[in-house]
Amino acid sequence: MNAPRRPKTLRTLTATLLAAAMIGLAGCSSAPGTSTAAVNSTPKDGGTLRVGIVGGSAKDSLDAHSPVTHPDEARVIQLYETLATYDVNHKVEMALADKITPSADAKIWTVHLRDGLKFSNGKPITANDVIFTFKRITDPKAPMAGANAFSALNRDGLKAVDAQTIIFPFKTPFATFPDTVAQYSTGIVPVGYDPKNPVGSGPFMMKDFTAGQQSTFVKNPYYWRKGEPHLAAVTIIDFPDDTARVNALLGGQVDAIDQLPLGQINIVKANPALKVLESATGSWVPFTMRVDQPPFNDPKVRQAFRLIVDRKQMVEQVLGGHGTIGNDLYAPFDACYAKGIPQRSQNIAKARQLLAEAGKTNLSVDLVTSSAAAGMVEAAQVFAQQAKAAGVTVNVKKVDPGEFYGDKYLQWNFSQDFWFTRDFLPQTAASGFSNSPYNETHWDNKAWSDLVNKANATVDMTARCALIQQAQQIEFNDGGYIIWGFPNSVDAYSAAVQGFSPDKSGIPLTSFGFRSVWMNK
Amino acid sequence: MTVIARKPAGPGAGITVKAPRKKGLLRRALRSKRTIVGLVLSLLIFAIAFLGPYIAPHSPTEFVGAPFSPAGVGGAFGTDNLGRDVLSRFLAGGQTLMILSVLATGIGVGLGALVGVFAAYSRGWVDEALMRTGDVALAFPQIVLALLFLSIIGPKLWLLVLMVALGHLPRVARVVRGAAMSVVERDFVKAAESVGIPRWKIMVGEIVPNLSSTLAVEFGLRLTYSIGLVAGLSFLGLGMQPPSPDWGLMINENRVALTVSPWSVVLPVAAIALLTVGTNLVTDGLSKAAIGSNEGVEA
Repeated sequence: MNAPRRPKTLRTLTATLLAAAMIGLAGCSSAPGTSTAAVNSTPKDGGTLRVGIVGGSAKDSLDAHSPVTHPDEARVIQLYETLATYDVNHKVEMALADKITPSADAKIWTVHLRDGLKFSNGKPITANDVIFTFKRITDPKAPMAGANAFSALNRDGLKAVDAQTIIFPFKTPFATFPDTVAQYSTGIVPVGYDPKNPVGSGPFMMKDFTAGQQSTFVKNPYYWRKGEPHLAAVTIIDFPDDTARVNALLGGQVDAIDQLPLGQINIVKANPALKVLESATGSWVPFTMRVDQPPFNDPKVRQAFRLIVDRKQMVEQVLGGHGTIGNDLYAPFDACYAKGIPQRSQNIAKARQLLAEAGKTNLSVDLVTSSAAAGMVEAAQVFAQQAKAAGVTVNVKKVDPGEFYGDKYLQWNFSQDFWFTRDFLPQTAASGFSNSPYNETHWDNKAWSDLVNKANATVDMTARCALIQQAQQIEFNDGGYIIWGFPNSVDAYSAAVQGFSPDKSGIPLTSFGFRSVWMNK
Repeated sequence: MTVIARKPAGPGAGITVKAPRKKGLLRRALRSKRTIVGLVLSLLIFAIAFLGPYIAPHSPTEFVGAPFSPAGVGGAFGTDNLGRDVLSRFLAGGQTLMILSVLATGIGVGLGALVGVFAAYSRGWVDEALMRTGDVALAFPQIVLALLFLSIIGPKLWLLVLMVALGHLPRVARVVRGAAMSVVERDFVKAAESVGIPRWKIMVGEIVPNLSSTLAVEFGLRLTYSIGLVAGLSFLGLGMQPPSPDWGLMINENRVALTVSPWSVVLPVAAIALLTVGTNLVTDGLSKAAIGSNEGVEA
């Protein structure tokens, strides 16, 4: 699987609509930025890290606000720093901002910048740069990747109180603001920013860049985190082919690669010069049943299909055990996740009974799949096999990723998709409402929508969690997703590289956190 | 070309037709060791493909162990990318490849022979038009043409067969036309014409039987290409669809773990290789035996 994991539109969304309800955290001052890396030895300065990353094309970009492919993401994370960021446990922590505070109704957010911040050209980072950045992202004429997430932002009301303080006014309560400004596609850029000659706020600065091939970044001397980055330079190389990427690592042409194919894990583990970086994530590869089309418009059929799945076997056969089982609910790392709902497990007899009640015995359905993300085609095959036991014939239809994400995407009756780790509320904005951009299942449930809308406007954590859990219960009973598991993210690197640590985001190589990495050779 | 013996034919002329030419060709070919080796190899692989499904220890889609288990753990040859038995999938995975290849070759050689004979017999502008159209078609590599249509219309088995067959057509037509050119000049054709036998009957009944060696050699040669093409297109995901077992698909699904679970790739690769070597050797033997047999094959 070598293509970027999702098409531009969806990638865009991935980049932007994320966020979690984290008001509690938002009001607090943060600890200064600390390395998230496991300390294996004393960090050494200098050296160049060469990284092989899946995907990339002649359309590769350095634009801070429109990363599409994995190499794009890896580059913007090096070049630009965000106001807040995620730690390895997928909790929001402060970055360029040291304080993000909501008003009581969560309609006005005040962001305060740290002291002494500078861009890579030595100029100070001020409130005006932050306002420029968010106006650029939400420009109605040319909306950037993050624009959707800020649809409630009153752009004209953005105001600099002083050089370090900015006010963000919203038309409706926006409880997940800190998560939204923690997305890597909201990096802060200076007034007059030109992506061709990118001045950034991140740990590295651009040295050279060839779209579709490789790019080199050198240390930014003005970076705000003390002692970081350790590396003198980072080279990011595009590798569309899995085998080539692994061979480059085995041959020593690169020091780290993302997305190690399942079949290669044992080879890399057996090599003492290499290490595997495996992280449990909240990424999910669901089956999507359209709740507005037969046969799935009958909730009994959806329930039956969910009972057909042997989740443990899915994780074992599709992921080789490198993952965790799911309970048809997304956002497992959300603080409000409904842990109280009992784990659903395979029950063929019940599934047969439900299908019979729905008048759908000997059902035959097409399952549209594609190698758009690792594990999709494999999961489809395992499901087809499991469905036989319930008398359901599943015809696996494999199409190429271009067709899969083409005109018929979101129209497939029974299909699959792929999502990175995301908390509950941002995920619902992306895929749960009738006007959400990626509602694959055409889910449109009034009771559920009311609960989620109420949760979005509820600042109190306990009250919000109660609402979220009720909404999750509705989805658990009637939803159109079959969420069988959460694949681990598996990367590999040379033993000489230190400082990578497991990360729940699903974004490879500790969310491409090369700032905290050093070379031990 | 040297004419050693004239083959009498022509029902109108009342001359007895000698039929067992082809048998003679095979018998002559079998005098060569390479033909025997080729035949044994081909029959072995055909036997695996057609009898395999009945002796497979597991269903080809059943999960028997962890993905990419080494040989001996999940089954005699380990498990594949989804933990299915490699041996069972191998045994079940050849049949479709064989059927598709033989079908495609049959259609391609059959249609090619008709076009070739028709061109040779018609001469004149019909011949020119057919052969120049063939030249244009020959300019496209077979695999490119197949890839083009399969990716536009989608991976349908009938289309796969049709594309492979159409790829063979101009190549076969050209060879057959060359061989038929000398046959159409012979007296028995003239004799048949003189008694008023319809042209199509002359083509099918008089000319084609006299090209049997050419056609046998062409069939063998094109079969070799067909096997490679069909397996290649399956490997690229344009042939059989998962979860069906198929040798080309197996190679694609499991190549990433070549060093961990080699059998899942080695078995289908070896089978396809042995089969193509086998059919090639047989074809080679046939063509050597046909030289000088006055059936349109030149030395």
